[in-house]
Amino acid sequence: MSLFIQELIVGLATGAIYALIALGYTMVYGIIELINFAHGDIFMIGTFVAISIMGLMGITANSHPTGLTLVSVLLVSCLGAMLVCAILGVVMERIAYRPLRNAPRLAPLISAIGVSLVLEDIGKLWKGINFVSFPQIFPQINYDIGSVNVTSVNILVIVVSVLLMLGLQWLVTRTRVGRAMRAVAQDREAAALMGVNVDRIIAITFFIGAGLAGAAGFIYGLQYGSSIFYIGFQLGLIAFTAAVLGGIGNIVGAMLGGILIGIIDALASLIPDSNAGGIGLPHGGAAWHEAIIFAILILILVFRPSGLLGQQTPEKV
Amino acid sequence: MVAMVSAGALRPARETRLLLIKWIVALLVPLAVFTFVWSGEAIVNNVLLGILSPANTNYNMPTLIQLAIFIVVFYAVVLALAGYLVAIDTGRRTMLEVWIDILVFVLIPLLLVIQLGLIIGLAVSAVIWAIFFFARTQIRKVRHYTPPQPLENLQVFDAEQQKALMQRAVAGGFWFGVVFAVVSLVVDLIFFFSGSLPTILLVWVVIRTILLPVAGYFLGQLSGRLALRRTLAANEKKSNGNNPGSDGGVIDKQHQLELLSTSRAREEAKDLVPNDLPLRSAGAQRFFLILLVAFLLFYPVLDPLLFGFGTDGRLAGYGDAGYYVILALGLNIVVGFAGLLDLGYVAFFAIGAYVWGMLASTQFTAVTSLPINLSLISWLFWPMLIVAALIAALWGIILGAPTLRLRGDYLAIVTLGFGEIVPVVFLEMDKYTNGANGIVGVQSPSFPGVQWSIITPAPYYYLILALIGLTILANVRLRDSRLGRAWIAIREDEIAASSSGVNLVRTKLFAFAAGAFFSGLAGMYHAAKLGGVSPDNFSFGDSVIYLAMVVIGGIGNIPGVIVGALVVYAINQFILAQLDTLAADPTNVLHAVYAVITQVIPGFTFGNIRNLIFGVILILVMIFRPEGLIPSARRRRELRHGNDEEVEVGALDVVPTAPGFESEVHVE
Repeated sequence: MSLFIQELIVGLATGAIYALIALGYTMVYGIIELINFAHGDIFMIGTFVAISIMGLMGITANSHPTGLTLVSVLLVSCLGAMLVCAILGVVMERIAYRPLRNAPRLAPLISAIGVSLVLEDIGKLWKGINFVSFPQIFPQINYDIGSVNVTSVNILVIVVSVLLMLGLQWLVTRTRVGRAMRAVAQDREAAALMGVNVDRIIAITFFIGAGLAGAAGFIYGLQYGSSIFYIGFQLGLIAFTAAVLGGIGNIVGAMLGGILIGIIDALASLIPDSNAGGIGLPHGGAAWHEAIIFAILILILVFRPSGLLGQQTPEKV
Repeated sequence: MVAMVSAGALRPARETRLLLIKWIVALLVPLAVFTFVWSGEAIVNNVLLGILSPANTNYNMPTLIQLAIFIVVFYAVVLALAGYLVAIDTGRRTMLEVWIDILVFVLIPLLLVIQLGLIIGLAVSAVIWAIFFFARTQIRKVRHYTPPQPLENLQVFDAEQQKALMQRAVAGGFWFGVVFAVVSLVVDLIFFFSGSLPTILLVWVVIRTILLPVAGYFLGQLSGRLALRRTLAANEKKSNGNNPGSDGGVIDKQHQLELLSTSRAREEAKDLVPNDLPLRSAGAQRFFLILLVAFLLFYPVLDPLLFGFGTDGRLAGYGDAGYYVILALGLNIVVGFAGLLDLGYVAFFAIGAYVWGMLASTQFTAVTSLPINLSLISWLFWPMLIVAALIAALWGIILGAPTLRLRGDYLAIVTLGFGEIVPVVFLEMDKYTNGANGIVGVQSPSFPGVQWSIITPAPYYYLILALIGLTILANVRLRDSRLGRAWIAIREDEIAASSSGVNLVRTKLFAFAAGAFFSGLAGMYHAAKLGGVSPDNFSFGDSVIYLAMVVIGGIGNIPGVIVGALVVYAINQFILAQLDTLAADPTNVLHAVYAVITQVIPGFTFGNIRNLIFGVILILVMIFRPEGLIPSARRRRELRHGNDEEVEVGALDVVPTAPGFESEVHVE
């Protein structure tokens, strides 16, 4: 049982990262109905930016700053990663997606794949083809609650993600920009007629979504301690799945989906190895985690075709 | 028909003479380049030497026969084409224009390819073509270009005109033969007096000088008949179309349908040959098709001449390109025809590959502990092709079933999930599939008298050619079938299709099954050709590449999709994969570029930025041709229609979904 709760907490932390990435997918999808395949790679660039900023601030793998230095390093690298990714997102939208706004539906999808390939190779050129270590500057403190072990990094990851998600929720539901975003998502032409600058709102959406991916990159580094040029693609795929699971286009759904998938991911590793005898899966559940995530996704979609929180909209005639 | 052509036909009238000069020069120049600059002449001479005195040639007998057939077919087709083009020419393109076109599109590429090698030559030609198109548009704009009126004598087709057309065709073939024979004769005489032509071949030169005009005469007659049939048929249809009420006002449904389908066939034909009228006609297309098929069939003979023997040859590479074509065509059924976005297409490819991999290797014995004779199993390749494809199709249905209620991108994500699950299953079920090591020693197919190995790629080339042929045939038949029209209907509007009686469940499942079928076929070929199966070859990235092939080529359009697959394959394998080799060569332009980049980024190789270049190409193609390189006629019409609407601003005032409602509101 304690193992179960332990994995639940790990899953919650992983899920928070998935959720942050999933938000970018769901926001972009909600507003222009595009699966932005390059989003995962922006997340990867985010991890690299955070590493580089720390390097510029004189942090090496072995340095353990404390007090004000620690806080400033954390804040600057997180905000820096967010800002660089956000700008990258806007540039990407301007170059690769805006010219295709009225093109056939699959054209922006292919150009998104193109952007993804480009970003991946930029990451490769920038940091090489091997794993890059992420300085573990946040003090690692273990809290034992009963037999369950919670680390300070887990707590930080969850707290930061929750704060960002709350911030986004506030932005979308309470501000003028958020209202404009919802209006554009609902009916682009009508929103334009009401005086919403649609191009600007779409750019802002990319800005926020990519910024969240940058933040996810930063906390991913804190949690896992390394990054490599191709993590974006795989993680992006799972995050996209999370967005669909929650009901794509739905912000709360993306959060829920991300956390659910994180938990499924963690719990999957509890499945025993059937090669060792007994029931289970060959090589244990961890090897199958992707297959399990997708199988559960398919099952859920069979019963709820629009995701967990997606609206069952009657089709337009 | 023969009787209509008197001997006087060979002395052409003034207008016909112009046509003759136009086309003879246009066809002769590239043919001469092929014969004298490229190795055409040498091949012909070697073949003849081989036939006349077999000891003197460096070809073996089968190569000799193949080459001989190729040469006869090639020259005969060109002769016939001369007659056909002269006969069918409507005069809408002037002499100079035709020559310039031939120069730019045939001659320059030919010379560049000879000088610079295939890849660089084609790339440079592409640049020249782009500049040419741009310059031509500019010049036409400046000169207020209007295409000339069609020749008057082509408007009516009474007996006299038919005769004239026939005469022109014969004259075309004959005079082309004469001119070509004389040119060849002169060149050969020069060769003879300079001592580089064996005396034994002089006999042939004399025979040829007589043979060519005679052959031209008869081939011209043949092509004239073809041309006549085309034009007459078109003319009849036109007059029928003008008087639909000729049989008492009853509209002949059958006839209407025929007209509809011919107009559609023509639209589709335009995708193949976006050019002037004579080249666009169905007859000319048949010529092109015959030429293309002949070229493809004889290509293995030419390959060593172009690229060298052994590992220098490109045949094996083309064999790989072939299964991409099949995959793209299969995916086109799901995405292009039925409009269902499939992001996990690679799963069926993996299933096809593993079916053959697990049956035709020692893995079969390892799993079932049944002793089998592998050389006997390899005979099972042929029936198993169908079985593997059917197994893949069955999985297509199994995947399709849960997705039926899903719409749009939810469907895409389920297919994506399936595409992710299948490789994991193959990877982790290592008891059956040998896991990450993959399966090695998979048998190649068996066929009497054919040697299947890596050093003889020709059998695989012909196998994949046959499979592609079958796939294209099946795709065309499917598209034009009741089922194909149902697919297009649900792609355009699911609700409208369903209320018109299309069974959504069945139609969608068939689309998945048909797509998966071809993917399984390709997978099985892949396993047999590679001699092994590895779980690394079936990632999401591969599914995405197949999708890119379909979209770049022109979604829903069969020729477009084939071109897309070949283009994407060529970019990846023949251009991007060779950049480093080219950069290492000091004579190449890339060498200097490479030197500059390594100064800035140490340890830079082009291999590292392959994906970057490919990604940029994807983005650029999508920005400049979002509908694909060769869009389907339907999509092109839609886009054109869209532009018209933009011009008529007033049309936007009407709500497109409920025009009646809107007008009622106005009345009130």
